Amino acid sequence: MSKRTKDVIIWFVTFFIMLIICLPGLWIILSAFRPNGEILTKPAIWIPQNLSLDNFRAIFGMGDNVVAIPVGSYFRNSLVISTTSTFLAIVIGMSGGYAFARFQFPGKASAFLWIMLSRTVPGIALSLPLFIIWSRLGLIDTPFGVILVYTAINVPFTVWLIEGFFRQVPHELSEAAQIDGCTRWQAFWKIEFPLAKSGVVSAGIFAFLTSWNEYALASQLTRSTDSKTLPAGLMDFTAQFTIDWAGMCAMAVIIIIPALILTFLVQKHLIAGLTFGGVKG
Amino acid sequence: MKKIRQCLREHSVPLALLAPAVIIILLVVLLPLIFSFYTSFTNYRLIKPETLWQWIGLRNYQRIMGDWAFWVAFGRTVLFLTIALNLEMLLGLGLALLVNRITWGQRVMRTIMMFPMMFSPILVGFQFKYMFNDTIGVVNNALQSLGLTHEAIPFLVDRWLAFFSISIAEIWMSTSIFAILILAGLFAMPRDPIEAARVDGCNNWQVFRHITLPFLMPFIYIAMTIRSLDVARAYDVVDVMTGGGPAGRTELLWTLIARTAYDDARMGRANAMAYVSILLSIFFTWFFFRKLMQARKHLGAF
Amino acid sequence: MAEVSLKNVVKFYGDLEVVHGINLDIAHNEFVVLVGPSGCGKSTTLRMIAGLEDITGGEISIGNRVVNNLPPRRRNISMVFQNYALYPHMNVRENLGFSLKIAGKSVQEIDDAVNDAANILGLAEFMERTPAELSGGQRQRVAMGRAIVRHPDVFLFDEPLSNLDAKLRTQMRTEIKKLHQKVKTTIVYVTHDQVEAMTLADRIVIMKDGHIVQVGTPLEVFEHPVDTFVASFIGSPPMNLIEGTINNNKVTLSDGVTLPIPPKTGNSLSDGQKVIYGFRADILMPKGHTLAKGGQTADLDLTIDFAEPLGSETILLTKIGGVEIQAKMHNPRPVKEGEVLTCELSIEKSHLFDAATGRTLKV
Repeated sequence: MSKRTKDVIIWFVTFFIMLIICLPGLWIILSAFRPNGEILTKPAIWIPQNLSLDNFRAIFGMGDNVVAIPVGSYFRNSLVISTTSTFLAIVIGMSGGYAFARFQFPGKASAFLWIMLSRTVPGIALSLPLFIIWSRLGLIDTPFGVILVYTAINVPFTVWLIEGFFRQVPHELSEAAQIDGCTRWQAFWKIEFPLAKSGVVSAGIFAFLTSWNEYALASQLTRSTDSKTLPAGLMDFTAQFTIDWAGMCAMAVIIIIPALILTFLVQKHLIAGLTFGGVKG
Repeated sequence: MKKIRQCLREHSVPLALLAPAVIIILLVVLLPLIFSFYTSFTNYRLIKPETLWQWIGLRNYQRIMGDWAFWVAFGRTVLFLTIALNLEMLLGLGLALLVNRITWGQRVMRTIMMFPMMFSPILVGFQFKYMFNDTIGVVNNALQSLGLTHEAIPFLVDRWLAFFSISIAEIWMSTSIFAILILAGLFAMPRDPIEAARVDGCNNWQVFRHITLPFLMPFIYIAMTIRSLDVARAYDVVDVMTGGGPAGRTELLWTLIARTAYDDARMGRANAMAYVSILLSIFFTWFFFRKLMQARKHLGAF
Repeated sequence: MAEVSLKNVVKFYGDLEVVHGINLDIAHNEFVVLVGPSGCGKSTTLRMIAGLEDITGGEISIGNRVVNNLPPRRRNISMVFQNYALYPHMNVRENLGFSLKIAGKSVQEIDDAVNDAANILGLAEFMERTPAELSGGQRQRVAMGRAIVRHPDVFLFDEPLSNLDAKLRTQMRTEIKKLHQKVKTTIVYVTHDQVEAMTLADRIVIMKDGHIVQVGTPLEVFEHPVDTFVASFIGSPPMNLIEGTINNNKVTLSDGVTLPIPPKTGNSLSDGQKVIYGFRADILMPKGHTLAKGGQTADLDLTIDFAEPLGSETILLTKIGGVEIQAKMHNPRPVKEGEVLTCELSIEKSHLFDAATGRTLKV
C-alpha cells in the first residue's frame, strides 16, 4: 500500500469518526426544527418533512402553540447571572492571579493549592450547605445568591489561568514602564494588561461557559422565574405529563448557541489555557 | 504577634490583591463546608429545623457505612469513573494520533473534535436520553428500521444497559478534552528523538511505545487532573437521563446525595455522604496530580 | 547635573543580607561599571539606585536629592535591561515615545525627541516595526534609544550586552562608549564581564559577596589589585597565583624554587609567613621576548606543557611550584610539548599577597 493510499484511508477514517461524534448533537439541532408530531411518529420518519421555527416561537411564548415554561425569563436569568458572575470572577481572578504571578509571599504555594482544591468540591455536595444557609439568608431563588456561588466556583479557575498569562509577561516590562514614568497602576494597565489580555478574555469565556452550563447548584438554589437558569429550566419539561421533545430540543439549541460561538472564538486559547502551568511549570 | 504584623506590612500588596479571591472562596465554599461538616454529625432534617442542634456523633457515618445501597452506589461510582476515564483516555489518544497524522483539513477536524466540549453536561444527558428513548429514540428507531430488532430495547431501564448508556454519554462528553490535550502534546513533541529512535532501528510501535507515549504522559495526566476536578459533572448527565433510577439501578454517589438530601430531607446523613464524595474527588485529583508531577520530573525537560 | 552617591547602603531579603553597607560616590558624567561574579550584589545595587528594590538601610542620593523613598518614575533615571524589556505590543516609535507620552508631552515634542534619538542610534528606518521584527542588535539600540529620549540624569545599564553574540557585543560596546561621549550623562553599568568593565569604565567598582572590594580606574585595578580576588577576576588571562613561604627574604615555593620579594612590598614580612606570589602572564616570557627592560628579573627554567598560538602572541602553559600557570611569548615560534625554556620574570611588576587574608602586601 503506498503512503498516499494510506493517508487517504486515514483521512476517511478520521472523517467518519468525527461524523459519529457530531451526529448526536446534530440530531438534537435538527429535531429542534421539526414538529413534535413528526418526532413521535411510529415508524420513524427519517427525512424531515417540514422544518420550521415553530418550536422556538412556542418556547418564547409567541405563535400558536404556547409552552407553559417561561424560557424567556430563564434566558434572561442565565444571561444576567452568567455575565455578572463572569465579570466578578475576572476582576477577582486578575487581582489574585497577578498576586501569584508577580509577588513572593509566605505561604504562596499552599495558598495556591487551597484555592485550587476548592474546585474539587462536587457541586451537589456544595449545594447542601448552601441550600440551608441561603434559605436562612433569604438568598435562595435570587439572582444575587446564584451569582455569588458562580463567582466563587469560577475564581479558582480564573486565578489559575490568568496567573499563567501574567507569568508569561516578563516582569522587566513593568519595571521599564515604572522607570519610564508610570506608577505601578499605570504600568499594569498600559503594559502588562494589554499583553495578558487574550488570556483574560479566554478565562472570561471559560467562566461564562461554566456559569452558563451549570446545573447541579442551579437546580437546588433556584426555583422560579426570579432566578431559574436555562439548564435548571430544561428539567421543567420532564415534570409535565407528556414530554415535549421538540420544545426541549429547541431549548437545548438556545443553550448551545452561545456556547458554540464562544468555544469557537477561544479554541486557540483553549489548549494554551488548559496546558498553562500544567506542562510548563 | 509582632512578627505577623511585620509580615503583613511587608506583603501588604499581594495580600490585598489576593484578599477578594480568598474571601469569596471562604464565604461561599469553605464556611458552608464547615457548616455541612457540622451537620453531618447531627440528625438534621430539612422539615424539622430544630433537629439542627441534635448532635448524634458519628451515627450518620455509621449508618452509611452499614448501608448496602450506599456501598452499591459508591462502588458503581468508582467503577463508572474507572471505565469512563480509561476509555476516554484511550479514545482521546487514538483520536489525537489520527488527527495528528492527517494534514489536509486538520484545523477543521480539530474544531469538529471539540464539538462535544461545547455541550453542557445537562445537554449531553438530555441528548442521550432523547436518543436512547425506547419509543422515539433515534437508536431504537434505527435498529428497528434496519430490521435488527422488533422489540424496543430498554436502554435506560435495564440495569446494565442503563449503566452502559450513562457511560456512553459521559465518554462522548469528555473524550475531546483528552484528545485536545494529547494533540497539544503531539504538536509540542520534538522531532529529534523520534528520528534518533528510527535511526536506532525502532519500528513504528516501538517508537510510539518508548518515545511518543512517555512524552505524552504529562499531557495525559493533565487531562486526568482536569477531568477529576469535575468528575461530579456526571451528576448532571445522570440526573437528566435516569435520575439514578429506575429503582436505583444507575444510582451514583452524587444522585444518592441529592435524593437523600432533597427528597428524603435527611440533610445530616446526606452531608456525611457528601464528605465521602468530596474525599473521592480530592483523591482522584491528588492521585493524578502526583502522577503528573512524577511524569514531569521524569521527563526533566519541562 | 547629577552625582550619584551611596552611603552605607544595606539590602536584606527577609533575613538574608545581600548588600553589606556599601559606600560609593559617582561624579557627574562619570561612567562607572559595577562588576563581579553573579550573586555579588551588583544588580541589586543598581536596582536600588533605580528604585526597583527597596533600600533596607543607608541612603542613596541622585543629584544631591535623597531618593530612598521616591518611586522609580520620580528619580529621573532611565535603564536598559538585560533582555531589553521592549514593549512587545508597541512599535519602535511608540516604544521610544512612551515615557514622554506618560509625562504628558505634546505630540510635536515627542516626535522631535523620538526622531533625535532615532537618528543618533540609526533607527530611523525601523520606526514602524514591532520588537519581534527586530534583530538582537536593533532591539538593543531601541532599548538605548528609549533610555536617551527623556534626557535623564542617570543612565542605568543592567548587563545590556549579555544576550548578544560575541561580535555584536564588541560592536555595541563601542556604540555605548560613543553614546556616552555624545550625550554626556552619568552612567552606572552592571556587568559580569571584566572585558566590558575594562573597556567602558571611567572607574570600575569590583564587588564580591555584597561588599565593594576595590574602586579604581581600569588601569589601577589591573595594575594594583587590592587582593587575590581582584587579581584573578580582572585581566585575561587571570593573574598567576602561587602559594609560597617567606624564607630569608625570599619566597620559597612548594617545589623548592625561590623567588625574590617584589621591591614594593613592605618590610613587615617575617620568616615562615605564608604568602601568595602573583604575576601576570605578560611579565613571564622566554628570554629574548621583549619583556620590558630594566628592573629586577628572575630566570626560571620552565617545562612547557602546552602552547596556544594566538597569532600575535602565544600563551604558554607550564608549572611553577606545582601550580599551573601561563606565560606569554611575543614573537611566536613553534614550541614543542615538553620543551624547556628559560624564562624571565619581572620581579618589579609582581605582586605579593597575604595567604591568610588574600590582601596585597604592597605598601
